[in-house]
Amino acid sequence: MGSECPKRRSDVSARVVEGEMVVLDRDASLVHQLNVTASFIWDRCDGRCTVSEIAEQVAGAFGTSPDASKEAVTAALRRFAELGLLEHARD
Amino acid sequence: MAHTLTLRVLDQGVRVDGAEPTSKTLVTATYGAMRGDPGAIDLDYTVGRNIGPATFFMRRQGCEQRTAPDTGTFLARFDEDIAIELQKLRRDLYFVHAAVLTLADVALMLVAQAGGGKSTTCWALLHHGFQYLSDELGPVDLKTLEVHPYARALALKTEPPTAYPLPSNIVRTSRSLHVPGDKLPARLHKRPAPLGAVFFLRYDPLALAPSVRPISAAEAAARLYANTLNPLAHPGDGLDGAIQIARAVGCFELVTADLPATCVLVTAVLNANK
Repeated sequence: MGSECPKRRSDVSARVVEGEMVVLDRDASLVHQLNVTASFIWDRCDGRCTVSEIAEQVAGAFGTSPDASKEAVTAALRRFAELGLLEHARD
Repeated sequence: MAHTLTLRVLDQGVRVDGAEPTSKTLVTATYGAMRGDPGAIDLDYTVGRNIGPATFFMRRQGCEQRTAPDTGTFLARFDEDIAIELQKLRRDLYFVHAAVLTLADVALMLVAQAGGGKSTTCWALLHHGFQYLSDELGPVDLKTLEVHPYARALALKTEPPTAYPLPSNIVRTSRSLHVPGDKLPARLHKRPAPLGAVFFLRYDPLALAPSVRPISAAEAAARLYANTLNPLAHPGDGLDGAIQIARAVGCFELVTADLPATCVLVTAVLNANK
């Protein structure tokens, strides 16, 4: 999983509001609010960053341990996938 | 005897013709607070009741007649039609499903899911120095962040708690209770008012006391968007409008409990937020 490059769906709208992301999925008629950490991870789901790289960046930005960072990224990506917000989650 | 009700609603002219007593009385009591010189007629309705089976009907000029088997359904269909048509006519306004009151000429918006206590809380606050601006529709001008009045009768699903009894002469349909503007315990606020705060209501039957917490602009924007009626009429599929409002005013989650205590809490928050 560490080498995968998660990519957010291109047809959802997202706006940063005071450090937190608001994501509008019109297809699903849902709007999501992401906390600061999830927003940071979402921003890096560009199809170029690997999961491991995102976890490293989380550790650098939030001062968390590598394990905790990886766990946070994995949990966030799992949730994004459950919500159908990632490209590969819809394949 | 034929009867014509003319309204001025959100700067649009509305005419409702009808001779049948029940349908005429329902519409007049529910919308009568918005009586006015309509100017040009933008929406032209005929309401009535068919002979034979007790079937109410409404017809907007140029459209097919819609029927309803009972008073509650009739009024709900009329409410729905006029609300949708006004959204089409005033696409510039950002319509939020909300009740809106004013305190010292500043608007506060109550937003809740169906059954979340929006109208009951609104009814209670009207006994605590608040004025009535609107129910069901909270039309916001995004250029000025003012909320326009929409003084439809306040609609309650059930009788409110005994601390805030209803007057005897309200409108009771098969579905709900409607307090006309002239039966409210407070004055109507008849001009646009600057929006000062948004409260997202949550009723917790287990809560011993009401509580309030400020919420982030992102959370408020997401919640507001979920209660926006015409988002697609606005840039960014309406998301930008919700964010604009959420950034500009204080937004709170209000857990309602004992109603008098809830009213005191809301007043205190507004005074502290000035």
